[in-house]
Amino acid sequence: MTGLYSGRKRRNFVWTVLAYAATALGLTMLVIILATLIWNGFGGLSLDVFTKNTAPPGVVGGLLNSIVGSLITTGIGLVIGAPLGILAGTYLAEYGRYSRVAVAVRFINDILLSAPSIVIGLFIYELLVVPVGHFSAIAGGVALAVLGAPIMVRTTEDMLNLVPNTLREAASALGMPRSLVIRHVAYRAVLSGIVTGVLLAVARMTGETAPLIFTALGNSLFTLDPRGPMSSLPLIIYEFARSPYAEQQKLAWTGALILTFAVLTLSIAARALSAQTRQK
Amino acid sequence: MSSFDVAAGATRLPNETKDKVVVRDLNFYYGQNHALKGINLVLQEGQVTAFIGPSGCGKSTLLRVLNRMYDLYPGQRAEGEVLLDGDNILAKEIDLNLLRSRVGMVFQKPTPFPMSIYDNIAFGIRLYEKLPKSEMDDRVETALKRSAIWTEVKDKLAASGLSLSGGQQQRLCIARTVAIKPEVILFDEPCSALDPISTAKIEELIDELSGDYTIAIVTHNMQQAARVSHYTAFMYLGEMVEFNETNAVFTAPRDKRTQDYVTGRFG
Amino acid sequence: MLKDTMTATAITAPKAAQGSADDRAQALGRLKLSDSTFRWLTFGAAMVVLILLAGVAVALFVGAWPAFREFGFGFFVSDAWSPPKEEFGAATAIYGTLVTSLIAMLIAIPMGLGIAVFLTELCPIPLRRPIGVAIELLAGIPSIIYGIWGVYYFRPVMQEVIQPFLINTLGNLPIIGFLFAGPPFGYGVLTAGLVLALMILPFITAVSRDVFDTVPPVLKEAAYGVGCTTFEVVRNIVVPYTRVGVIGGVMLALGRALGETMAVTFVIGNATKIQTSILAQGTTISAMIANQFADADPGLFTASLLALGFILFVITFLVLAAARWMLSRLEMKA
Repeated sequence: MTGLYSGRKRRNFVWTVLAYAATALGLTMLVIILATLIWNGFGGLSLDVFTKNTAPPGVVGGLLNSIVGSLITTGIGLVIGAPLGILAGTYLAEYGRYSRVAVAVRFINDILLSAPSIVIGLFIYELLVVPVGHFSAIAGGVALAVLGAPIMVRTTEDMLNLVPNTLREAASALGMPRSLVIRHVAYRAVLSGIVTGVLLAVARMTGETAPLIFTALGNSLFTLDPRGPMSSLPLIIYEFARSPYAEQQKLAWTGALILTFAVLTLSIAARALSAQTRQK
Repeated sequence: MSSFDVAAGATRLPNETKDKVVVRDLNFYYGQNHALKGINLVLQEGQVTAFIGPSGCGKSTLLRVLNRMYDLYPGQRAEGEVLLDGDNILAKEIDLNLLRSRVGMVFQKPTPFPMSIYDNIAFGIRLYEKLPKSEMDDRVETALKRSAIWTEVKDKLAASGLSLSGGQQQRLCIARTVAIKPEVILFDEPCSALDPISTAKIEELIDELSGDYTIAIVTHNMQQAARVSHYTAFMYLGEMVEFNETNAVFTAPRDKRTQDYVTGRFG
Repeated sequence: MLKDTMTATAITAPKAAQGSADDRAQALGRLKLSDSTFRWLTFGAAMVVLILLAGVAVALFVGAWPAFREFGFGFFVSDAWSPPKEEFGAATAIYGTLVTSLIAMLIAIPMGLGIAVFLTELCPIPLRRPIGVAIELLAGIPSIIYGIWGVYYFRPVMQEVIQPFLINTLGNLPIIGFLFAGPPFGYGVLTAGLVLALMILPFITAVSRDVFDTVPPVLKEAAYGVGCTTFEVVRNIVVPYTRVGVIGGVMLALGRALGETMAVTFVIGNATKIQTSILAQGTTISAMIANQFADADPGLFTASLLALGFILFVITFLVLAAARWMLSRLEMKA
């Protein structure tokens, strides 16, 4: 009997050690990555980074056009993707619910949620770059919208499903038409949840590189015109990281640090907001 | 089988009250489940009618037919006639939103909207009327006074409706309903989630509101029915067993089932 | 479920309040148009989502058609890739995609499950939330970060330490030795697979942990109560209960790994021929598309890249659909 028991204890010990080891190894590697990011990126931070445009090697440059480009492209993605995602999520929760259309939309949405971003980029390339004849930040924004909308569809539907039916009934009992019940009562009840979904979508959109390669392309000049090619942080990191010039490599790290910081801030804000929602 | 005694003027009160809502041969189905069987009753204008009966007897179902709240859910349907001032509200052509502006409802669980106290009231009014701010302020104040909650909230109208206590929230919901000036108010077990003091306040409120409004109240609390209503309907297993002036139902019930219920033998 | 209720005409006014009822009917009438407009807007948005996927498939296929028509079925098995000769084949890319993802899964699945078990069973309770939150935040780090770290820090380590080690040990073993042959460049299929593993790890961990958390505590307590060790509880209670969900989560991660571009493109080496050693360079579908697109002239070259994209789309679609099917079975159980 004791032989059996000590065998069990040994096996448990071995697996426990393995679990600890996996955690230690995994967390260590991830910490190393973050540490190198901060180490390499922080040293490159300076006012120039935020005030000068990207420059050819030998000229002191910065990342201004890329940062601004990221803001514009992501902004376009948000403006297109958020109404699309929120309205579609509203349909799934409020009007469609169990209909066959809704079932199909949920399935498609889940696929799009994890679809390769490079494939989406190619799609928008065929749709908005080839017919028009040139690259544009608008095309990039649309590609980002396609990537971000599924997140907002999911979150909006989940949030609206949490609104108790009695609240909807109370509004209907006053004679309120359905759309007002949704817009003025249901949305308000879960507004922070819906905003959380938007923040998560923006975090995702900000960090994507591949779809922008075929849509916004990149631009070494400062531009605010979304109808033409535009730079953005992920694109410039991609370019500079492969450059043989040390100063551009340094800027790549700095850009990576700024990008990571932005994405983490958005994710943390989303979590904080969602924790607040849950408390209510 | 239903006992229907309001005809022949025998139980009309002195003020020549008239039939505000007449229910004729109402049958209601949840899918295949026959939940209400051949209901007949009358709600007198300006009077309070209580629906009592054991759990599952159909009293809430009946209440929710009166403002067609069941219409929000597929698979639920009603057959028969429900006349509001002579017009059948079960007809397909009826504008439901308009109906619900005339027949208001207060629910079991207080449901303030996620807005300020002021907006909770103003919101319903804004659906139907465009009022300048001063007039809106007056309407909000009147509604809150009518619901006996004005003194408690007058200094914090901008606070969220959710910041009030349970009893206050329920009175806010009543104010919200009263603000759009309905003709009939339906109360679905309005006090079951509240403490005794709030319950007493709301019963007082219902008493005050009667006269200006036709009121129907579902309650599982017989003493409350006896305190608050002029007429009482006892329901059992989807049928209207007895319907009479409240005094008569409680002191001289005609049906044995009624007697068993009001004396506490079951339910 | 609430169903929408819009009706046509107003209720006739009662004798008493004629005027106000008419006003109300008017006010509500004005709202009716915006009511159905809103409903159609939401329906339209849902329709856009619905046709988006079909649109992607169609657009890619149409763009890739010249390549499919030209090369036929051979496109899938040919490893030719010569722009000047206009000969293209997807085999190298498909091979690289599958092998890097396989390597990534082989490493990330046991590690991810191990960390998930740690978080749900072994970790001291005050540390659970911080570590869990950290993992979730890490899952959101843009993949290009892994790529840039991979090329500057990991590749040299691979070249100087790990690859020589592997060549000298595993490379000398009889049957599998050929997998670890070749000069150590640091770049290669194995390097890309390892970086991919690191990128996928937070995701697998988070999903597995969420799935493990769905096990009702009473079940585990019952097992602990009869004296089971932690390992036995995990093996006999947690894993069987969550098997479907874990597999679903793993397949979701696989779907992501297959489509990943930035984490692999820096370190995979971008060769165009299949080689047997995993220490050798290679390419994946997404890396190839990313690297060659800028130089591709329209015509057969671009069409071939689009064809690669279409293939990737189909592969990931199948994997993601299977994953979703499994996860929906889990939801039905819960």
